Amino acid sequence: MVVGELTTNVDVAVIGGGPGGYVAAIRCAQLGLETVLIEKRWLGGACTNEGCIPSKALIRAAAIAHRSTHSEDLGLTSKTKVDFRKMQKWKDGVVSGLRNGIESLCKSNGVEVVEGRAFFQSSNRLVVETGHGPADYEFKHAIIATGSVPSVLAGIEYDHKWIIDSSDALSLKSIPKDLVVVGAGYIGIEMATMFAKLGSRVTIVYRGEGILRNLDPELGAEVRKKFDALGIRLFLNSVVVGWKPKGKRAFAVVQGKEGKEKIPFERLLVAVGHEPYTRELGLDKTGVSLDEKGFIKVDAQRRTTDPNIFAIGDVAGGPMLAHKAFREGKVAAEVIAGQKSAFDNVAIPLVVFSDPEVASTGMTEAAAVKAGYKAKISRFPLSASGRARTMGETAGFVKIVSDADSGVVLGAHIAAPEASELISELSLAIEMGAQLEDIAATIHPHPTLSESAMESAEAGLGKVIHIYKQKQSQ
Amino acid sequence: MATDFRFPDVGEGIHEGKIVKWLVKEGDDVKNDQALVEVETDKAVVELPAPAAGKILKIFPREGDTVKVGEVIISIGGQGERLQFPTPVHEVISKVVEAVRAPAPPAPEAPGHALASPATRQLARELGVNLEVVSGSGPAGRIMPEDVRNAASRKVVSREGAPIAVKEEKVAVREEFGEQRIPLTGLRKIIADRMSYSKAHIPDAVGMDFANVTRLVAIREREKAKAEKDGVHLTFLPFIVKACVIGLKKYPKFNAHFDEEKQEIVIKPRFNISIAVDTPDGLMAPVIKDADKKSVVDIGREIAELAEQSRSRKIRLEDLQGGTFTITNVGSVGAVFSVPIINPPQVAIMGVHRIRDTPVVVDGKIKIGKVMGISLAFDHRVADGAEATLFMNEVIRHLEDPDLLLLEMV
Repeated sequence: MVVGELTTNVDVAVIGGGPGGYVAAIRCAQLGLETVLIEKRWLGGACTNEGCIPSKALIRAAAIAHRSTHSEDLGLTSKTKVDFRKMQKWKDGVVSGLRNGIESLCKSNGVEVVEGRAFFQSSNRLVVETGHGPADYEFKHAIIATGSVPSVLAGIEYDHKWIIDSSDALSLKSIPKDLVVVGAGYIGIEMATMFAKLGSRVTIVYRGEGILRNLDPELGAEVRKKFDALGIRLFLNSVVVGWKPKGKRAFAVVQGKEGKEKIPFERLLVAVGHEPYTRELGLDKTGVSLDEKGFIKVDAQRRTTDPNIFAIGDVAGGPMLAHKAFREGKVAAEVIAGQKSAFDNVAIPLVVFSDPEVASTGMTEAAAVKAGYKAKISRFPLSASGRARTMGETAGFVKIVSDADSGVVLGAHIAAPEASELISELSLAIEMGAQLEDIAATIHPHPTLSESAMESAEAGLGKVIHIYKQKQSQ
Repeated sequence: MATDFRFPDVGEGIHEGKIVKWLVKEGDDVKNDQALVEVETDKAVVELPAPAAGKILKIFPREGDTVKVGEVIISIGGQGERLQFPTPVHEVISKVVEAVRAPAPPAPEAPGHALASPATRQLARELGVNLEVVSGSGPAGRIMPEDVRNAASRKVVSREGAPIAVKEEKVAVREEFGEQRIPLTGLRKIIADRMSYSKAHIPDAVGMDFANVTRLVAIREREKAKAEKDGVHLTFLPFIVKACVIGLKKYPKFNAHFDEEKQEIVIKPRFNISIAVDTPDGLMAPVIKDADKKSVVDIGREIAELAEQSRSRKIRLEDLQGGTFTITNVGSVGAVFSVPIINPPQVAIMGVHRIRDTPVVVDGKIKIGKVMGISLAFDHRVADGAEATLFMNEVIRHLEDPDLLLLEMV
């Protein structure tokens, strides 16, 4: 590393080592560009270290614990004892293993990783504040991949003790007896479900009408069906208007339509979305401009309004999803290397590791109608799936939105075990411009959950096999 | 008073064009004849000039849209005038949308999404093809890689000469059972359509004769060096053009179009001679306008320029239009005789061939002459064999006696 007055010349400086940043850096290096990756904390970013990966590990463990103690009908009677510390240790191992893997990938591809904070000096210079002093870089191109930070809710600001964010929630030392979750987006729902399965009494407080409101409303409705069994209380059209600690517990005052209620909690998780992280980057020294919501403005190549600088991931707007950032990172790198890439994806899937899992890709029915299509809905209930029966998990459905005239698949919305895996077939169908017939005429292995996509497409074509006739959808 | 500017009939059977680039924007003040927009047709990119001075009130089609002849594309008002009437009917044809999503063309969530796989979309970016105006040949109108390659090969070069066309990979050749299958695309397709049309509709007859051009060869040798100084490589073609014009003046039925619809022969007042030019993409026929009014050297220069522009696809549409008679010079390649196909709606085409040293009988003696084969294909609906032969004789007479040619040129 270069310290002091010396300036290192690089082709590309990538700021932020999260999913967008490290992928962009590796692709840059693969394309022969001299690349430095600047990360202030840990490679992998929020996704690997305090988001996707740790949450999925804990959700998985919690689901096994819950399932094993609720399988009497399968002839299993057991009470699984949760050793939360050990569970956390396992999760930490998963996280550090993946983080080390990313570091090795960067190294083996020839990416120089620098720990520190980056500040732009101009459109082709930046300084990194490292533990050993500042380091100057002159770059031909920079990629901003600084991600996002949890939004703060006025009146219940994070103190990281009582009031926690999702990152805090995933590294708790003990399972809270009473947990209040403010927000009913995918993080709120995943955390609520996970802690409920680990034994917390969970209350969700949400100011809107329904949960998972960015998705097809049927998905949220399907997830809600399990709340009673999991002991999750749901306060819709409600807000937390105040809270107060009282000894070892605290109380939140929840204002709903019918009045106020005091709810005890050990932790209150605020999960009301994320904001783009652009502070302190020195963007004013560059030609980069932001939109009215604070996201960096980019084009299809992920070029900002500064011709030398690209932006990807959460900071560049659109759904805040690691897989979107992965793709953007590759696009930006390829464009910098002179290739004609573009972020032109039609289907950006979104998955929620709820119970059942839900996943969505492409257009909802409402969006399709708004876009001028004659939307057709095809549906297959999981209860008709042989595989779902053998798993003892029959809640859910596969719903496909297509254009009635052409049969072209426009969107898909799945509530099912492994919905997160099932959705990709439909994303591929959408990207390829496939028709319902293409899915219906493709052989799907039996007995699997994936057959549900084929059956749903067949239902849409009016020739489904495994649904009773009177139940058949239009 | 606002002026509606409609996409004009540019002739040559062109019914629609694609808006490549707007050179003005709404609110701009424009002068009469100022270039407004670049439009790409099957043949070339043309700039359309403003019909009147004024302020641009409204621009209707967007870049990339296809417009039909007669469609309003821009509204121009007097200074300060505002658009007062509702938007006139503007039919934008996006074939993709038509094929895939009829009847209601949507504005999909991801704007500009055409029905094509990610790999096809990448190919389109690499070939510079706008998928929104490509019609898909796949199921439900899906755009296939071949469609993109075909669209790329149809592209012509912009007026500034910035090449839009992609030279390599023009045609999607595919291997099937050891055979190569080459789809008809771009210019090849246009040629195929026109030639099929010609052969299917025109009862053509062909006359052939020899011309002893010994003296013309001598004159051309003599004048060559002089022309070279003017930067013109003098070939026989400009002389042949001149000889044809003289013949056409005497036999105007061959300087004509045949109007299929009205079943009328249209004798043309101007002598616009189309010259068949072999280009890497296929045959093109740029036009020497008013060849009767130009010198041999000027015609020579113009042929060279237009041929070069044709080969590099920088030719302007207007230089491909308005031909009244075609000459195809096979001579530079070879052949004693060829049977050319008439270029509709024209009535006749003359093929000229390689000049060879040939024994000729002059005053009862055999001498070595420079002899060229000439063939004339003509529309037998318009003229009969006798007239065609007389026309050919007239052309030959002038080629054989350059003094006569020079005399007529004055």
